[in-house]
Amino acid sequence: MQLKDRIAQGLESGWKVTDGATLTENRALEADVVVIGTGAGGGTTAEILAKSGLSVILVEEGRLYYQKDFKMDELSAYASLYQEGMSRVTKDGAIAILQGRCVGGSTTVNWTSSFRTPDATLDYWADRFGLDALAPDAMAPWFDGREQRHNMESWAVKPNVNNDILRQGCDQLGYSWQVIPRNVKGCWNLGYCGVGCPTNAKQGALLTTVPGALDNDAHLIHGLRADKLVMNQDRIDHLQASAMAADGITPSGVTVTLKARHFVAAASAIGTPGLLLRSGIPDPHNRIGKRSFIHPVNACVAEMPEKVEPFYGAPQSIYSDHFNFSGGVDGPVGYKLEVPPLHPAMSSGVIPGHGDTQINNMARLPWMNSVIALLRDGFHPASPGGTIGLRDDGSPYLDYPVTDYLWDGLRRAFYTMAEIQFAAGAKRVRLMHLDSDWYSTWADAKAAIDQLPMELHRVRLFTAHQMGGCGMGANPEDSVVNGFGEHHHVSNLSVHDASIFPTSIGANPQLSVYALSARNSTRLANRLKA
Amino acid sequence: MNDQSEVRSTSSDFVNLDRRSFLKTGLGGAIFLGTVSATAGLSGCSSTPAGRVSAVGTRMDASYEFRFLTSDDIQLFEALLPAIIGPGLPEQPQARRMVIAGTIERIDAGIHKFGPANQKELRRLFDLLNFGLTRVTIARVWSSWPKVTTEEADAFLERWRTSGIGLFNNGYIALTKISNVAFYGYEDFWHLSGYPGPPKWAVDALPQFQNA
Repeated sequence: MQLKDRIAQGLESGWKVTDGATLTENRALEADVVVIGTGAGGGTTAEILAKSGLSVILVEEGRLYYQKDFKMDELSAYASLYQEGMSRVTKDGAIAILQGRCVGGSTTVNWTSSFRTPDATLDYWADRFGLDALAPDAMAPWFDGREQRHNMESWAVKPNVNNDILRQGCDQLGYSWQVIPRNVKGCWNLGYCGVGCPTNAKQGALLTTVPGALDNDAHLIHGLRADKLVMNQDRIDHLQASAMAADGITPSGVTVTLKARHFVAAASAIGTPGLLLRSGIPDPHNRIGKRSFIHPVNACVAEMPEKVEPFYGAPQSIYSDHFNFSGGVDGPVGYKLEVPPLHPAMSSGVIPGHGDTQINNMARLPWMNSVIALLRDGFHPASPGGTIGLRDDGSPYLDYPVTDYLWDGLRRAFYTMAEIQFAAGAKRVRLMHLDSDWYSTWADAKAAIDQLPMELHRVRLFTAHQMGGCGMGANPEDSVVNGFGEHHHVSNLSVHDASIFPTSIGANPQLSVYALSARNSTRLANRLKA
Repeated sequence: MNDQSEVRSTSSDFVNLDRRSFLKTGLGGAIFLGTVSATAGLSGCSSTPAGRVSAVGTRMDASYEFRFLTSDDIQLFEALLPAIIGPGLPEQPQARRMVIAGTIERIDAGIHKFGPANQKELRRLFDLLNFGLTRVTIARVWSSWPKVTTEEADAFLERWRTSGIGLFNNGYIALTKISNVAFYGYEDFWHLSGYPGPPKWAVDALPQFQNA
C-alpha cells in the first residue's frame, strides 16, 4: 500500500514548488540548468542534475496534480491532465492525440507499459543515422538502471479479461504473445492508470524523479508556459515564460525570465519542436519539426460472451509483437498489438455513433473487449512522418499525412485484430470506422475489411506516442541533435525527450525516454561540473 | 424533407458538385469556414459566451456560467442532443430538459479546457451550423434549430456521417464525440453502459474520498 503521499509530504517539508497562478508580478530567476518539461525526460534530467549538485529549475506548463486530485473520474481527469483537455488532434483533425499535460507529463496518465527500445530499432538507428553508440549492448545498463528506478517488472498478477482475450486469440492462432512489464509498486489492480493513479502505485516521474529532484533542492514552477528561448549571439541567454491562470489554460499576463548556463528542452515531441521553432533556434538544414512519428493506432471492439469489465484491472498486461518486425525492420509496416482500458467516456468518444446505435454499443460495455494496433512508422521511405508547425498564436500543431504504405498496414491490422477477437470467442466485432457494422463471423468481418475505404476521418485513428521532430543523428544535415541529445548548433541546449527519436520506437516509448535521458543527463552533469 | 433522396434531387446539383470539389481540398475548406465564420459574425450571430443563462424561461441552471457556448450554440445542442443521445434521455419533459441542459453545461465546461486553438475550430463549425444560409446549404437543415425535429437532426447527423467529404465526417465526429463524452461520462448516466463506477472497496479505503 502506498497511501502515504510523497507529494503532500514533500510540499509540507518545504520543497521549492511555485504555482504560476499565484504569481502577481514578473519575476527573474537563475539556475545552473533550466529544464523545460517534467515528464519522462524532464523528470529524469532534473533528478540526475540536482543530485550531482547543480541548481535546477523545472518548468511545467501543466499543473501539479497528485493523489488528492486522482479520483478515478474520467471527465475531470481528461479536462485537467491531458493536452487541450483531451481534444488535441492532428492538423486535419483526423487523428486524436492522447498526451499528458501536468507534472509528470504523460507518465502521470499512461497505462504503465514499460518496454526497452527493441534491438532492431537501435540497430536501425546505428545503420541509418550513425548512432552506433546506442547499440543494444551499450544501452543495456541504462535500461537496467531505469527499470530499477521505476520499479519495472513483468506483471505477475493474472491479466484482466480484456487482456486475456488478446492472449487467448493469439494462442488459438499460433501468434506469439508476452506479458507486459509495468512501472508500479504495490499496485491495487484497479484499472484507473489513465486518469491519474489513485493509490500512488504508478512509478512515473510524478512519484520518482520529480520528488528526487525536489529533495535535492530543485525548484519546480508549474502552470508556467515556456514561450521562447532567447539567444545572445551563439548561446541561449534566457527563457521567456508566461504564468498561466488557475484554470491552467489562460495566460495571466505575468512573465518569468529564467537565466541559466544550460537549457534542456523536454517538452515532448510536439512541445519541444514547437518551442525551438518559436525561438528561431538556428536550423540551417530546416530539420526542426520534421520526421514526427506517432505509432498510428487503429482499433477493433468485440462483444464477448462472458463479462469482460474492461474498466477494471491493470489496463495493459498482454501484448503481441508477432506482426511488429515480421516484415523486416524496413519492410511493410509492422504493428504491435495491445489492449486499451474502456471506461464510459472514452468508449463513447472513440466508438463512432449516435442515437440508438450508440446506446446499443454502450449498453454492452461490460462485455466489450478492444484490441489496438500500434504501427511502427518511420522505418521506410514511404513513412516519412509528419511535421510540427506553429499556429498564429504560436502554439504547436502536428500535421501528419497518412500514406498508402500506412493505410496498407492499418488494413492488415484490422484483419489481425478481428481475427484474434473471433478466435478468442467474440460474438461480434466492430471496427473503429464510420462505415463499420457489427460483424458476427470472421468471414463477414474479413469481407467488410476488404471493402471499407481506408480514408482519413472514416477510419478512427489515435496516437498516445508522439516521437521525433528533433531527431538525433551523426550528421547535422539530417538531424537536430547528436547522439547525446546535444543541439548541433547551440552549445548550451540539449533535448531530452521523445522528440530526439529518429524513427518511432516500435514499443511504448516511456522507458526509451527514461533511459536516453538518464544517459545524456549523466554526461551533461559531468560536462557542467568540469 | 426527411427523405434524403428527395433532398438530394431538389437541391441544385451544380452548386452541390461545385461545393463538393471546393471542400475536398483542406485549404478550400479552411478558407470557406473562415469566411462563414466572419460572415456569421457580421450578420449578427452572437459570438459571445452565453454567460449565466437566466433560469426563468430556460432549462439552464442559472448558477452555471457559460464560458464558450453562445445562446445560439445552446439552441443547436438542444436540437442535436435528442438525436445524439436518443433513448438515453428520459421521456418525462421536465426531466428531459434538465438532462439536456446539464449535458450542454458539461459540453461547455469541456470545451473551455480545450484551449484557444481547438475552440477556434469549434467556433467555425458552430457558426457554420448556426448561420441560416450555411445551415441550409451545408447541413441541409431547413428550419432554424429550435424548430428542428429529432428526426431531422438525426437525418442531418446521418448525412454528415455517411458523406464522402472528410470535412463533414470530421464535423460529425466533433459533434457526437463531445456530446457522447459529456453524457456517457457523467456519473448519472454510467448505468446506461453498465459501468458500476470505481470499485467501492477502493473508494472506501482511499484518503482522497474521505473528505468528500
